[in-house]
Amino acid sequence: MQELLRFEDVSYAYEPGRDALRGLTLSVAAGERVAVLGSNGAGKSTFFLLAGGVLTPAAGQIVFEGEPVRRPTDLSRLRRGVGLVFQDPDVQLLAGTVEEEVSFGPMNLRLPESEVARRVADALTAFELTEYRRRAPQYLSGGEKKRVTLADVLAMQPRLLLLDEPAASLDPAHARQLEGHLARLHRQGLALVVATHDVDFAWRWAGRVLLFQGGRLAADGAPETIFADRALLAGCGLEQPVLFRAGRALGLDPLPRTVEQLEQAVGKERNTP
Amino acid sequence: MRGKILNIEPLSLLTGALAALVGWSLLAGSLPRPWPAALALALGLALALGGHSHGSAVQIDRLAHASRWADMNAALKTLGCCGLLVLTLCCRTPWPPLGVFVYTAALCMAGGAGVRRYLGLMALPAAFVLLSAAALLWRWAPAPGGLADLPLAGGWLVLDAASQALARLVLARALGALGCLYLLSLSTPLPELLAVLRQAHAPALLLDLAVLIYRYIFLMLDTAARMRVAAASRLGYEGAGRSLRTTGLVYANLLGRSFARARACQQAMESRGWEGQIRFLTRRHPVRAGHIALFAAPAAALLAALALGG
Repeated sequence: MQELLRFEDVSYAYEPGRDALRGLTLSVAAGERVAVLGSNGAGKSTFFLLAGGVLTPAAGQIVFEGEPVRRPTDLSRLRRGVGLVFQDPDVQLLAGTVEEEVSFGPMNLRLPESEVARRVADALTAFELTEYRRRAPQYLSGGEKKRVTLADVLAMQPRLLLLDEPAASLDPAHARQLEGHLARLHRQGLALVVATHDVDFAWRWAGRVLLFQGGRLAADGAPETIFADRALLAGCGLEQPVLFRAGRALGLDPLPRTVEQLEQAVGKERNTP
Repeated sequence: MRGKILNIEPLSLLTGALAALVGWSLLAGSLPRPWPAALALALGLALALGGHSHGSAVQIDRLAHASRWADMNAALKTLGCCGLLVLTLCCRTPWPPLGVFVYTAALCMAGGAGVRRYLGLMALPAAFVLLSAAALLWRWAPAPGGLADLPLAGGWLVLDAASQALARLVLARALGALGCLYLLSLSTPLPELLAVLRQAHAPALLLDLAVLIYRYIFLMLDTAARMRVAAASRLGYEGAGRSLRTTGLVYANLLGRSFARARACQQAMESRGWEGQIRFLTRRHPVRAGHIALFAAPAAALLAALALGG
């Protein structure tokens, strides 16, 4: 797979002497689905801000699409290619109406107005927001705001999307809807990196798990490997996903990622005497 | 509830009393005896019972977004309202400005503002306007001799016909001007107004600030409301002293949170390619002949009135 983003021994500190992120080395390839786990203050958000081109590394370097990010022009290249969806929609929402809001990113790309209008219309359609386009963001519900922030970033047509705890403060119905959108974006070939506290979601969805602990990358690997390491999880205040444990307890191979897979596997075993 | 009489708030009661006084002073001598007092009382009661509206910033914004005139070209509305405002201020008799007030209020109602909400929003500037009217109407003199006299501090407070005429004109102009401004603000969402100012080449920095302030008004109100509920649930508003202390704590906290949020917001803007200027793609509303007529007709009437000595 083609490599999109690479961190080479990257460190960052908000205050001198207190590293928020230390010696981070990793790479993300096109079309990957990565879950980022770790307790609050583990360095997930700092990783996202660095990857999104908002912060610049204190040490080490970031390489995007094969080119190192050094000068301010590189930084804007990084911001174009990497979309960042913040945890709190209110931090991100800016304009007076939804369609203006979505146009902010494309306008910053200095595209012609007809192209901006086309991208806004496409993004609104993709997230079922067309009927809200004239509404003011301050009068939308939490789930609607989240969709607007996704449309915001997708209108810039990034190749890699970073989502910081996207399901936080969403009700179950909206969280399911969000997973539907993530699946669609994955099918479109976007690389997705999602920070989350929900190990069940990570197990169900991710193809790869990054585990952060105290500003370091504690583990990077397949979900099967990471979630098998109980000591590692306990050190990060995490537990094994329910389906992972259920699958293990029933001796299933492969382990079920969804309830449907579990039902299917168990049903099959019952049918064979 | 404490602090309220018959569910009327103290501020509304004050405005109502002031309105009754000013109303009577404006009409005394020009109408037969019981009428000035009766009309003044009716006006005062209407204002006192109407009450001022809470969260008026949010209410104005909601009305502007929902208005029937929200689709009208914003530049036309701005020009039209400002033009009417200037003409209103040029009038030399009270009737044309009063006409402008009635006309603009009617347009607001047609836009969907609702009589009660409109009056509620009017009550806010009403206190200022009425106070200045009272000051214009009554003057202190060493001897009585007006339409009405009140003894005060060794002299007299005197109401005479000349100050009555002046106060009527000033009050009428103020009402007309308020009507124009309310028509604009109750029919035009702020982002559209900012787009007009951008077209008119207002300084970009000023407009960017306005965008941010507009957006963060709602966030701050929301945060403040949540903190107030949280404080109230812990009995933070029992008694006047504790209320004051809690209010202070809430506002101090709001400041800290605003700084943190400002940093987060800037990061969010930078991640979306912001490089120093806030730009949106704004929807364009075509100028329609019917809409022009809505402003051209009253402007023509005002010009005619001015020509005839109004």
